[in-house]
Amino acid sequence: MRIGALKDSYAADQALFDTRVQRVWLAAGALLLVALPFVASDYWLFLACLVGIHVISTTGLNILTGYTGLVSLGQAAFMGVGAYTVGYCQIRFGTPFLLNLIAAGLVTAALGVLVGVPSLRVKGLYLAIATIAASFILHFVFQNWTAVTGGTRGLSIPPARMFGHDLARPQQLYWVILPFTLLAVLGAANLFRTRWGRAFIAVRDRDISAEVLGIPLLKTKLMSFALSSFYAGIAGGLWAYFFRVVTPESFPFVYSIFFLAAVIVGGMGTILGGILGAVFMTLVPEVLKLVVGWLTPVLPNAVALLAPVRTIVFGLLIIGFLIFEPHGLAEVWRRIRRFFHLWPFRT
Amino acid sequence: MHPDRRQTMLAGLAAGLSLTTLGTAAAQTGEIVIAGSIPLTGVFAFAGIGVNDGISDYVKIINEQGGIAGRKVRYIGEDTGYKVDQSVAVFNKLTGSNAVTFYYGDSTGFAKTINPELNRKASMIMAGASFATELNDPKAYPLQFMAGPDYSDMISVLLTYIAKTQPGAKIALVNSDTEFGRDPITTTEAMAKKLGLTIAEKIMTPPGSVDVSTEVLKLRRANPDYTIFHGYVLAPLPEFMSQAKQLGLKTKFMGTFWSMDNSLWAKVGDPADGFMGVMPYRYYFEKDPKAPMLDAIRKLRPEYQSAAYMQGFLTAMLFCEAAKRTLAAGKELTAANLKAGLNAIKDFDTGGVIGTPITISGNSVPVGRVYRFDAKQKMMVPETAEWIKVSKEGL
Repeated sequence: MRIGALKDSYAADQALFDTRVQRVWLAAGALLLVALPFVASDYWLFLACLVGIHVISTTGLNILTGYTGLVSLGQAAFMGVGAYTVGYCQIRFGTPFLLNLIAAGLVTAALGVLVGVPSLRVKGLYLAIATIAASFILHFVFQNWTAVTGGTRGLSIPPARMFGHDLARPQQLYWVILPFTLLAVLGAANLFRTRWGRAFIAVRDRDISAEVLGIPLLKTKLMSFALSSFYAGIAGGLWAYFFRVVTPESFPFVYSIFFLAAVIVGGMGTILGGILGAVFMTLVPEVLKLVVGWLTPVLPNAVALLAPVRTIVFGLLIIGFLIFEPHGLAEVWRRIRRFFHLWPFRT
Repeated sequence: MHPDRRQTMLAGLAAGLSLTTLGTAAAQTGEIVIAGSIPLTGVFAFAGIGVNDGISDYVKIINEQGGIAGRKVRYIGEDTGYKVDQSVAVFNKLTGSNAVTFYYGDSTGFAKTINPELNRKASMIMAGASFATELNDPKAYPLQFMAGPDYSDMISVLLTYIAKTQPGAKIALVNSDTEFGRDPITTTEAMAKKLGLTIAEKIMTPPGSVDVSTEVLKLRRANPDYTIFHGYVLAPLPEFMSQAKQLGLKTKFMGTFWSMDNSLWAKVGDPADGFMGVMPYRYYFEKDPKAPMLDAIRKLRPEYQSAAYMQGFLTAMLFCEAAKRTLAAGKELTAANLKAGLNAIKDFDTGGVIGTPITISGNSVPVGRVYRFDAKQKMMVPETAEWIKVSKEGL
């Protein structure tokens, strides 16, 4: 049983990972991530890359919705802006992919600020509707600004290149997506130890009180929109390099709901929640497919027969989480940790 | 070198070589795998289920006949929910764990996304649910094809029929504002001009729109002889047709392949009476002495099978025919050889699935027939006896 963690310096008190056990597990996790491309098949690497992209976007939405309390249903459209920016820069200017990704983040952040302006006047469901409207406007632009977006046919993007090598396959792109994901997650974790991050939380908890305390509401809310959109832009840019075809149908409205569901299922307002939510939403349907696949020897047409059942089970799992653990997977994880901390005693 | 050691090394080398040869022989005589990213759930599930059954049934038939050159055919399909990311995941999963020779893709988005990987692998050819005109380009998509006419060709079949039935007719085009819907517009305009037809109105509806009253009024003003829908499955076609009939419009409505399934219109009933469209395959219930394959299908499945089923069935047939021709020529089943085998198909008898011998020119089978829905019989009936072959030459 562990009764506490002794901290004998301010640096130790401020550390993100404050116990040795935590650091050992993190090192093991890092080793696993580095080893993954050498042991995993194309399929699992593809999913790992997709999870990475989803983690970045979910973390971005978590900053806005989970930490600042501003509900947004425009995350997919923001990803679209990032993807089109990358596509346009790559095709038109042939600029290096890292520069394109940063440009995608910045352009999307600027657009996020614009979309965030109504947030000073409206919040909750009203803001959600405002972001839906923005999302539809953006889709209209994707479809009709043919000179930039390629219209309904979209853009076919050449692969990213690094040191003369094409980064076209999951094995290669993994080494780009992984660092971006780690940076995004670490950046967000650190953000909430800064004045800006604390201000986001204060606005979420009670915006009027925050203003009384001297937090500029509009500036804070717009900063949150900018950061969240920056994350979406980077995720969209990586998505563009990953799939290399961007059309107006690549980022449908349901994709925004996917990210909101990931934030809620994972646990709003926790960094770990964003990661677990994205992993859950991406991998559970695949795991369910594997389970159905195991039934094939017993039931030859299992894949076709059980496809609707699989969708229902996935839906039920989400509803189950909302009912039995409203604080999300992050809370489940915390309880598991507590169990081992206090073992052999029970909470 | 010591003689014993040299002998041992030579024996080892010989054993190694023979094992390699055996391995190659096993690969050459092993089963032929057809894999697929199939939309068994989601908005396109109605088609995915039919395609899945169609491919499975043709594989069953070919295996009962002894396979292809003694090699069994195996089909594995997985659900994609009609989402490009999941389709690519399924592609990676199935091609990573099986030696796949043929692949079925579920959408235009997937076909475009996977194209570079398909070319890189160079081990399989692909067909799918998309009839996008863009894919009918052997230079850009050298390892893909479609088991039917592309969307532009489908409209060309309809225009050819119109030009023959009512020369100089006025036409209205109604397209959904999607990649699918916009696909054939440019070629349609060129083809109409060539055939001396007038395009009186072009209407674009937002995806998923239900209220079509303003569009019907536009149609009333244009008063076309024919109205061609493209980019829809069913909605909002019945709404369009009901409102047009209420306004007393005499225009004849037409559609393309994905809105031609008989069961869809049978449920709509009377308002659908007279709806026409292009169908690249015969319907499940058609009886013809020259269509033994339809008898075989009915024997396997006594209940009605959709238009998507016929598409999946014919795709599997063309896959197997390409493999048969490649093996008969003594070549390996590589992507280039398979595509060459496929393009060698000329005046091929599909057993009546298509009512005329087919030739694969480019990446498509540019042939189709016009059918009309008869509400009394609740059945699509051939509007023309002949199958119309089209070409893009001169457009």
